[in-house]
Order: sequence, then structure tokens, then C-alpha cells
Amino acid sequence: MTDRSVTHATFVIERVYDASPARVFAAFSDPAARDRWFVKSDGWPIAEYTFDFRVGGHESGRFSPDGTMMVYNETIYQDIVPDNRMVFAYTMMIGDKRISASLATVELKPEGKKTRLFYTEQGAFLDGLDQVADREKGCRDLYEQLAVELERDTATA
Amino acid sequence: MTERSTKHSTIVLERTYDTSPARVFAAWSNPDALLRWGSPSEGWDVAYERFDFRTGGSDVSRFGPRGGPVFVNETFYQDIVLNTRIVSASNMTSDDKRLFAGLLTVEFIAAGKACRMVMTEQGAFLDGHDKPENHEAGWNEMLDNLGIELKRTQAAA
Repeated sequence: MTDRSVTHATFVIERVYDASPARVFAAFSDPAARDRWFVKSDGWPIAEYTFDFRVGGHESGRFSPDGTMMVYNETIYQDIVPDNRMVFAYTMMIGDKRISASLATVELKPEGKKTRLFYTEQGAFLDGLDQVADREKGCRDLYEQLAVELERDTATA
Repeated sequence: MTERSTKHSTIVLERTYDTSPARVFAAWSNPDALLRWGSPSEGWDVAYERFDFRTGGSDVSRFGPRGGPVFVNETFYQDIVLNTRIVSASNMTSDDKRLFAGLLTVEFIAAGKACRMVMTEQGAFLDGHDKPENHEAGWNEMLDNLGIELKRTQAAA
């Protein structure tokens, strides 16, 4: 029997992007952009991926870093305000074990021609299978990928 | 245009009920029991449109003070461990305005013959439509009602 436990934690990542809130928002809502900086960010082979960006819509992915271990990500969008805010609930599983459930808020605030992004994750980390520090680092890496995506976008625009 | 804002908050409430974790868990998983104790205030009506208590399932309820505003709550069950834990994500709307999105963890811990229940609500309060104080007061009332419900059903058993 697994020893059940829940660790609750909140962390905030703040970052300024050299792009308008509309462009930052589009990197979340546009499937092609989302695919580049989020879905393929780890370079893991993808077994399955679906994306339905609307309130009540789901985004789910199944990835395998090594062809054996399966990682699942299941997201349900709870609130979307174009160019301004996204709130989503997501869970992560490794194999048949759920390692976390989280509520995530992305807020976009214009700052001159730039955007200040606040990512707030309120998480329940389950049964000691995931660590808050690892999750925070993973998210920081992701928001670095978003910067690369936005730079790419500027270069090609 | 609405001024957008998000206030994040974590509410932790704890109760010890003089009964088994299985009975307290059952009161969260049965819609008839929830209708009896799950009203945040005297004189409020609550009705379920849908109830599907399983990991990956969801429920929808409508509630509010009789003759007053109607609130719609949608809950998505994220992780259910029988008699041990329920993690769910939810959002609340009224008049097409989204007021709240949250992640709720309820842990049921055996304490001798009693059950210590720890409830953690990690919430995003949207655009000033709702407040953590309201949730805390509502939950406190509901958890007291749950105590009454458990005594009543214990006596009837």
C-alpha cells in the first residue's frame, strides 16, 4: 500500500517579454506556436496530443522520455480572457500514478510595448512522487522556451 | 469593460468527526448527502444538474439564496482515493461572469475511532467578484453542517 500524502504549495514565476500581450496570448492559443514551445519543449517523443483551447476544453498529452516510462498531462481550461488571462487545472501522471494536481493562472499585463507575465501555480503534490522545486524549475524552463518562441516569431514577422 | 484582477488564496480548515473516514468520505461522494450538508448558508437552494463522482468525472450544481442570484459551480474530479482523499478542480460563474476557479483537496485521516478531515482550497478569485473571506465562512458553515449530518445518520443507523 502506498503511503498517501499531499504537499500543498504555491509558486509564482514573473517574466517580461519583448512582445505585446496579444502576441504572448497567441503563443498559448495558436496550436502551431503551442506545439513549438510547450508540447515539444522537452524534445520527448509524443504518443498522443489533443488541444481544445476554450473554457471547458481539454488539452492532453502522453509523452515518453525513454520509450518505456509514460508521462501524462491533462489540462482543463477554467477561464480564458483574450490577451489578458488564462486559468487552467492540470494533473500529471507517471505510469498509473498521479503525481500532482494544480491550478495555474497566467496573467498578462502590458508594460509599454512589452508584457509582464505572472504564472501562479497552486499545486497539490501527491504521495511524495513529485517535488515542488522540480516543478518550479520545469515551469521556469518552459517560460524560457516561450521567450525563444516569441523571438522566433519577431524574426519571421 | 471589467477591470481584470486575480487574487490567489489558500484556505485550510480542519475538523475531527467522531466517526470513520469511510463515513465522512461517503458524505462527499453521495449527492443526496451533499444536498443535505453542502449549502453555504441557511435559506439557500442547491440542486445538481449532473453528478459523476469518479476520477475524470464532473458535476454541475446551481445554488444561491432563494429569490436571489444563481451561482453555477462545475467540479472536475482529479484524484479520488477511496476513504482517503478527494482532489477536485472547480469554477464558479454567475450571470455569465466567472467569479472563481479553485483546487480543493480533502484528506480523511483515521484518528483512533474518529476521522480528522483536512480541507485545503487553493483559489483564484477573479475580478473582485468573490472573496476568500466568503469562501472561508461558507466552508465553515458547511463543515459544521457535515458534523450534524454525520451525527444524524449515525443515530439513524
